[in-house]
Amino acid sequence: MRRRAPGSLLVAAAAATLLAACTAAPEEDEDPDAAAPGTLRVLASSELSDMTPVLERVEKDTGVTVRPTYIGTLDAVDMLATGKTDGRYDAVWLSSNDYLRLRPDAEKKVVSQTPVMSSPVAIGVRSAVVEELGWKPEEVTWSRIEQAVRDGRLTYGMTDPARSNSGFSTLVSVASALSGAQSALTDADVTKAAPRLKEFFKGQKLTSGSSGWLAGAYNRRGDVDALLNYESVLKGFEGLTVIRPKDGVVTADYPLSSLASTDAATREDVRRVTEALRSDAVQRLITDRTLRRPVVASVPPAAGLDTGRRRELPFPGSRSVADGLLDSYENELRRPSRTVYVLDTSGSMEGGRLSRLKSALTGLTGDFRDREEVTLMPFGSDVKSVRTHVVDPADPRSGLEAIRKDTEALTAEGDTAIYTSLEKAYGHLGAGRDTFTSIVLMTDGENTAGAEAEDFDAFYAGLDRDRRATPVFPILFGDSDRAELEHIADLTGGRLFDARQGSLDGAFEEIRGYQ
Amino acid sequence: MRRIAGIVLAVLLIGGVVAAVVAGRDNEETGTATKTVRMVIGSEKAEFFADPDVVKALAAKGYTVEAETSGSWAMEGLDLKGYDLAFPSSRAPATELAARHEVRGALPRPFYSPLVVVARRGAATVLAGNGLATLDAKNRGTLKMAAYLDAAERDRTWQQLKGAGRYGELSGTLFISSTDPESSNSGALYLAAASYVAGGGKVVASDAEVERTAPLLRKLVSVQGAQQTGTDAVFRDFVSGAGNPLVLVYESQVAALLDEQPDAEDLVVLYPDTTVNSDHTVVPLTENGKGLAELLGSDPELRRLAVRHGFRPQGDAAEFAAAASDRTTYLKQRLTGVRQAPVPTAAVLHELARRAVGQGGQ
Repeated sequence: MRRRAPGSLLVAAAAATLLAACTAAPEEDEDPDAAAPGTLRVLASSELSDMTPVLERVEKDTGVTVRPTYIGTLDAVDMLATGKTDGRYDAVWLSSNDYLRLRPDAEKKVVSQTPVMSSPVAIGVRSAVVEELGWKPEEVTWSRIEQAVRDGRLTYGMTDPARSNSGFSTLVSVASALSGAQSALTDADVTKAAPRLKEFFKGQKLTSGSSGWLAGAYNRRGDVDALLNYESVLKGFEGLTVIRPKDGVVTADYPLSSLASTDAATREDVRRVTEALRSDAVQRLITDRTLRRPVVASVPPAAGLDTGRRRELPFPGSRSVADGLLDSYENELRRPSRTVYVLDTSGSMEGGRLSRLKSALTGLTGDFRDREEVTLMPFGSDVKSVRTHVVDPADPRSGLEAIRKDTEALTAEGDTAIYTSLEKAYGHLGAGRDTFTSIVLMTDGENTAGAEAEDFDAFYAGLDRDRRATPVFPILFGDSDRAELEHIADLTGGRLFDARQGSLDGAFEEIRGYQ
Repeated sequence: MRRIAGIVLAVLLIGGVVAAVVAGRDNEETGTATKTVRMVIGSEKAEFFADPDVVKALAAKGYTVEAETSGSWAMEGLDLKGYDLAFPSSRAPATELAARHEVRGALPRPFYSPLVVVARRGAATVLAGNGLATLDAKNRGTLKMAAYLDAAERDRTWQQLKGAGRYGELSGTLFISSTDPESSNSGALYLAAASYVAGGGKVVASDAEVERTAPLLRKLVSVQGAQQTGTDAVFRDFVSGAGNPLVLVYESQVAALLDEQPDAEDLVVLYPDTTVNSDHTVVPLTENGKGLAELLGSDPELRRLAVRHGFRPQGDAAEFAAAASDRTTYLKQRLTGVRQAPVPTAAVLHELARRAVGQGGQ
C-alpha cells in the first residue's frame, strides 16, 4: 500500500483490505508534500485504492510516480470549485466526472479528461437469496428488486451518496429506474418518484461512508441480503451473485483529468500516465486485477464480467436535480438515524479541549438531517445527563437550536467512566425501531471509573441480536488509549476515527457517513 | 536519417529531459536541428500524434511534438503562452483563437472528418425498421436526419419502435449522445447540422431563426443529462459497452479503431444524410508551429498516416478511398450522397449552444 498523506483520518487497518476506502477531506492546514518532478499528486476517489499494483506498473513504464490522496467525489469537486486544489494537486482522478460537470466553477479547472476504465453500478445478492427469489440474474430489473424489497424479502447495504461516488451513482440509478424517467432526470421526476423511492430505501439496512467498511459490516451482520455498489467492488465478494439490472445502470468511467492550474510539464506527465494506462498490457492488468472493464476494443473484459449490453441511465444534467435528489435522500427518503453522542466531559477536558468539543458539535448541527434523533450523553464519573432532540422537518431549527444550547452548557468535571456510559447508551437506544442506530464515543482519556472493559464485553455479549447491530464509533482524542478504543470498535462492529492526527471537527464530520 | 529517428524515438520514451540531452548531442554529430513544437489539440487527434510512426515521420523532418488535449472551444480559456500552435477540430473555434492571438493569414486545414453516429447492430436495425435509417452495407448505413429530428421533437422512445423489444438495452428516449456543445466542437457541430435540417436547409443566421430552432436544440441536449467534454471520452464509453446506444463521433475515430481491430464486431457506422465536416484547423502561434502545420498538409508520409488514423486529407479524395477499400463494410470511400450543412458564424453557434444547454435556465 502506498503511503497515505498526513492528516488523513483513515485508520491504518482499513488500508489493508482490498476494498479499503476513505472519504476524509484532507485538512485545511495540511501541506501535502510539495511538487516534485516525476511525481503526480493526484486527488482520487477512494474506490481507486485498489489500483496500487497497476500504478506500480505504470511507474515502471513511464518513470512517473502517482501519489493519490483519497477523497469523496463531492468533496473533491468542492475543492476544485473553491480553488483549494490549485498548486497542491497535479491531477484529479474521480470515479466519474458527471457531478463535476454540473459545477462550472469546478469544470473550468480541468483541461483534459480521459476515461481509463469503466464499471457499472450493480447489485450483489447472496446466491442463496437469488435462488429463494427465483431470479434469473440476466432478467432482473430494478422493479423486480423493488418488489422484493417491498415484500420484505430483500434487504441491502449501500454507501452514503453524500460522501461516496458509488453511493451517489447508486442513488441516481435507483431514482432514474424507479421514476420511469425516459431521459435525464428532472426535478419533477424526483418528486413523482418519492413515494416509491421511500419504500425502496426502507430495505436499506446498512449505510457507510466507504465501500471498505460496508464490506466488513455486511460480513459481520450476516442478515443483510445484498449490497449496491460498483460491479468491480461486488465481484470481489464470495457468494454474491452480481446483477446489472436489465433496465439500466449508471457507469463510472474513471477519467484521469489534468488541471489548468498546473504547468505544461506536469500535464505532459499526466498525458504519459494516461497513455500508459490505456496501453493493452495495462488495460489487461486493470481488468484482471480490479475487475473493471477496459476502454480499448483490443482487450476483452476479465473472465466473469458479463458482456451483455445494458441501457445507460443518463446522469442528471443540472446541479439542481443532482443536489435536489441528494437532499431528498438525506432528509426524506432514507430511514432516519438515531445517534447517541457519549461525550467525555471529565475534569481533563477543562479548557481548550472542551471548547474544541463544543465548536465541533456546534459545527455538526449544520449537518443533521431532518427526522434525525440526536441524544447528547455527557459523562464524567457517570452519565451526567441524557438530552434527546429530534430534527422536526416542520421546524428543523428548534431541534438544532436545542442541541447547540445543550452543547454550550457542557462543563468539565469528574473522572472517566467510559464503559458505564456506553452501557447506558445501549440502554437508551433500546431496539426495534426502524432507524440507523449508532453510538459515537468521544473521550480524551482512559477509563478510570465505573465498569471495566471485561464488564462491558460481557454486557455486549448479553445483548440481543438487534441491539448488537448498533456499532460504536470511538474518536481518539487527547490522551485516550488507542488499544482500548480499537477494542470497542472491533467488538461492536464500529470503526475508530483519529482526531489526534486530524481534527475533532473532521472526525465528527466523517462519522456522518456511517450514521 | 532512420537511425537518428530511432534514437529520438527511443529517448522520447525514456523522458523529456534525457531526450533533450541526447538529441542535443545527436544534433552536434549530424547538424540537424530538432524543433520541439508544443501544441494543444482536440482529443480526437491525440492518438495520431502519439502514434510512433507519426513521431518518427515528424522526427525525420526535424520535429518533436508535445501535445496536450483540450475541448476545442475550451482552448479559448487557456493561456497559450509557450505554445507553438493550437489545433482545434474545426474552423469556427480556430478563427476565434486566431483573432484572439492576432494570427494573420490563412489557417492551414490539413485534414477533415465528417461527424457520424455509431451504434450496435441491434439499434441500427431497429432504426432501419422504423424508417429512421437505411442500411447500405453490413456495418454501414445512413441516418435520416429529418426523421430523427421529428422523432426527437415528439419524444419518441425506443419502446415505441417496432422490434426494439428484442434488445434489452434499447429503452428510454431515443436520442444521440454528443459532447457538451459549449466546450466541445463535435457537440456544437451537431447543433449546426440539426438546426440546418430543422430550418429546411437554411443555415441559422438571424435572431428570429435562433429563437425558432432553440427549443428543439434544447431538447436534443437536455435529454442527454450530463455531457462529456471530449469525443474521445464518449467513444471510449461506447467501446467499453457503456453509454447511450447512439453516439456522435468523428469518422476518424471509427477508422482508427478499425485500424487496431479490423473486425469491430457489430459496430455500425451511420452517416447522417446531412452532416458537418470537422475541418481540423491549425492556428500557428510561432514560426515552428507554422512549419509543422504546413508539413502536416504536404508531407506524403504524414498524409498517409493521417489517412491511417481515419482523417481525410484535404485536396485528394483518392488517398482516403484507397485506404478505406478494405473496410468499406464500415466506411464510405467517398462522401457522395452526404450533404454538408454549412456552419453558422461563431457568434451564432455560441448562442445556439448557450440556449441548448439552457444556461441559467435551471
